Amino acid sequence: MQTDWSVVLNFLPQLIGGAKITVQITVIGLFGGLILGTMAGLMRAYGGRVLNAIAFTYVELIRGTPIVVQVMFLYFAMPVLTGLRVDPMSAAVLAIIVNAGAYIAEIVRGAFLSISRGLSEAGLALGLPQWKVLVYILGPLAFRRLIPPLGNQFIVSLKDTSLFIVIGVGELTRTGQEIMAANFRAVEIWTAVAVIYLILTGTMSVALRMIEKRMRIL
Amino acid sequence: MSIIEFRKTSKHFGDLKVLDEVDLHIDVGEVVVLIGPSGSGKSTLLRCINGLEQISGGDLVMDGISVRAGKKQLRLIRQEAGMVFQQFNLFPQMTALENVAFGPRKVRGASVAGAREQALALLEKVGLSDKAGHYPAELSGGQQQRVAIARALAVRPKVMLFDEPTSALDPELKQEVLTVMRQLAQEGMTMVVVTHEMAFAKQVGTRLIFMEHGKISVDGHPREVIENPPSERLRDFLQHVE
Ligand SMILES: Nc1ncnc2c1ncn2[C@@H]1O[C@H](COP(=O)(O)OP(=O)(O)O)[C@@H](O)[C@H]1O
Ligand SMILES: [Mg+2]
Repeated sequence: MQTDWSVVLNFLPQLIGGAKITVQITVIGLFGGLILGTMAGLMRAYGGRVLNAIAFTYVELIRGTPIVVQVMFLYFAMPVLTGLRVDPMSAAVLAIIVNAGAYIAEIVRGAFLSISRGLSEAGLALGLPQWKVLVYILGPLAFRRLIPPLGNQFIVSLKDTSLFIVIGVGELTRTGQEIMAANFRAVEIWTAVAVIYLILTGTMSVALRMIEKRMRIL
Repeated sequence: MSIIEFRKTSKHFGDLKVLDEVDLHIDVGEVVVLIGPSGSGKSTLLRCINGLEQISGGDLVMDGISVRAGKKQLRLIRQEAGMVFQQFNLFPQMTALENVAFGPRKVRGASVAGAREQALALLEKVGLSDKAGHYPAELSGGQQQRVAIARALAVRPKVMLFDEPTSALDPELKQEVLTVMRQLAQEGMTMVVVTHEMAFAKQVGTRLIFMEHGKISVDGHPREVIENPPSERLRDFLQHVE
């Protein structure tokens, strides 16, 4: 079998274009997922019965179904149910937001609940309202504990974007497949795709390590 | 004049009755030492005063405000009743100075410079000027507890509540904390102290309360009560702690 690595160079601009879309979906999706996940996590940890039940249901629905099914639902079933069409890119971003949000909710909840009750009481005993205790005392402590599991989730979500091949988003995996279909250079193209994923996840890992190192876990 | 008034105050945890229609008036300037067997409700009594536990029956009025008056009033009560915990509960991400300046900044709305100056003065008062920049993890238990006292004082409370402040400390570290507390009492601070330090109770306390099963069973002058226990169970209890 002969390999010809020059094809990788020929198709590199196309692959990088795909990688850009992968990064775009990941970044926007995780940004939304962080907001949604933080809200749901705090609802789980500190919300009353109703808020807690809403967040719990959301988390269990998402954790209990595959992300491919979720994005199919968003892309194909939602328009039927609501009459609103979404383009593949929006469906992909939305899927990451909703999916990562559920996992992040559990991470956030765990981080806050792992902080001793005594610290919360010490804050309250000074006369602080609950929200200030959360923002000024528990938040900064929880944040440090969030970073390692959050980093893990970021990498999982980045790789999950490859599954959006099923709705035809032109992200990295889809791009690889399209090139493949035209020239059958499986070894070269899939190696290149894998290496690009590794570069993306590796960059994330290194960045998170650096943040982790800067902060003492308390 | 009473600053803390328990009026037939009850507290249940589910079916468990932890405070049973407690009536207790504490006046300004009193140093009340609270003793009693484990589980008799001492911590709960203390924590009801600043609303860390919600009372289930009766009323409890602190500095003219009922603990049932609402969230906002409860925060006012908490500003007037500083609390010191057995486990110190210092904020680990803040230095000693930041811990002490935190309350004035976030509760009283003090300026950065004002809060800092006051915090330095309080750290000096508890003998820890040289530890201002240290994090809690870098301090001994006794030092941490003294910072915790300074932190509570920084909000300028009228009353200080202590829940076994020396129980988590090695014997050689207890004294430095008791010394700070003694000094506070001498300055006229109203204090409610759960402790088993009977020497402190005798020397500093103006009143001794013995709790049993959620009720006050003995209430008297520390020296008299300790030297002449009016009940068999108090006599037994005192033998165990000494
Ligand atoms: N949050 C709680 N939930 C349920 N039971 C509690 C709670 N806090 C305290 N108790 C119970 O109330 C009783 C009195 O507790 P506490 O006031 O801490 O006693 P003490 O401080 O005198 O040892 C104990 O039986 C304890 O187990
Ligand atoms: Mg106790």
